Amino acid sequence: MEEVILDLRSISLKSKKDLNKLRHFLHERDLDLDTDIDYAIVLEEDDKIIASGAMSGPVLKCIAVSKSFEGEGLIGKIVTYLLLNAHHHGVNHLFLYTNPKNIQIFTELGFHEIIRVDETAVLMENRNHGLPDYLKKLSESKVPGNEIASIVMNCNPFTNGHRYLIEQAASENDHVHVFILDENLSQFPTDVRIRLVEEGTADLKNVTIHHSGNYIISAATFPSYFLKESKKIIDAHGRLDLQLFCRFIAPALGITSRYAGEEPYCVVTSRYNELMEEILPSSGIKLYIIKRKENGKDVISASMVRELLKIDDFKKIKKIVPPATFKYLESKEAEPIIRKIKG
Amino acid sequence: MRVVKTGIAGTLESSDVMITVSENTSKGIEIELQSIVEKQFGKQIRRVINEKMEELGIKDATISVNDKGALDCTIGARLEAASYRAAGISHVRWEEK
Repeated sequence: MEEVILDLRSISLKSKKDLNKLRHFLHERDLDLDTDIDYAIVLEEDDKIIASGAMSGPVLKCIAVSKSFEGEGLIGKIVTYLLLNAHHHGVNHLFLYTNPKNIQIFTELGFHEIIRVDETAVLMENRNHGLPDYLKKLSESKVPGNEIASIVMNCNPFTNGHRYLIEQAASENDHVHVFILDENLSQFPTDVRIRLVEEGTADLKNVTIHHSGNYIISAATFPSYFLKESKKIIDAHGRLDLQLFCRFIAPALGITSRYAGEEPYCVVTSRYNELMEEILPSSGIKLYIIKRKENGKDVISASMVRELLKIDDFKKIKKIVPPATFKYLESKEAEPIIRKIKG
Repeated sequence: MRVVKTGIAGTLESSDVMITVSENTSKGIEIELQSIVEKQFGKQIRRVINEKMEELGIKDATISVNDKGALDCTIGARLEAASYRAAGISHVRWEEK
């Protein structure tokens, strides 16, 4: 057999010609070229794409092989390259979404099923015991009680509105588990956001603050939160994220309810709240959507704090954030972040 | 040699093996093996890995192996490369070994 010479190259995301070529190739395989990819690679023969793959954060995407080259291990070549590239960027825990009929292919490449949502999508990760290990560690924070609440929030940064929601849950339950989103894609870095919540709730004895990790509204389980994608994709991601929560995370901590703030502004978050109403109660988890705390006629929100930072209105900020957050915003440490928010 | 980070070597292509060596503080050598010839050669592959760990003096590591039918010498070489990377050693004088 004559050896075929294949060129593996990365696609320039700035080149319209390259992107169109890849988009065309993916369309033939019933796939879309997502808009959020960080980089893409292709294998070519005589200038024609025969296999492709892409990365978006820790998620592998757009993995496809031309029909006439199926079964020749080209997917192995593509995935190897993506794995090594991610490794060199310090990302070793990887995820992918695929059709359940492809599970076998990715199992052979070292991926394991995390969760399957209906017959259209399955989320996989390249760790053998990724989710079980996480749940085991999480269950160490389990607190006994009949009513155990949970809240998932970003706190970018921590405001009196967040504090109000936590207080509400803490007064109505034996214990509250608060998950702060881990993805470092917000203006305030993760460690700062978590520290401010910890300091701002130190007086509440029945509250535990957690990192949300990889399995709660993360770049892997709910990428749309960070990308503001189309409704269809938001729904698919949101359902998967919430089923993961109901089936695995809630049982690990004995969670009986989830609290969320009403969302008047952000489309993605408000849709996520709707999906919670649809999925949580039917899985035996009570859902409380709490009306937001108001300051005068305004609803308090983290985005409002960021807007006020832009115009240096510290007087108004002081009224809507806890003392720890205010102290931080005035500190030297916050200066570069505020400068960035101002743009 | 001590594992201080994650090191990878090899590929997922046919007749090769992809090996990831990462930290496993004071928990010994843990091997996660996935091989297309596990039934026939699983034991032998584990032996090659354990021997190589002994040779390199690595006591604690998680070794994740995805084997596509590699020969013992390939497995040994990939594991050695991944281990050096995981130990943060980048200048290896291979020819003197």
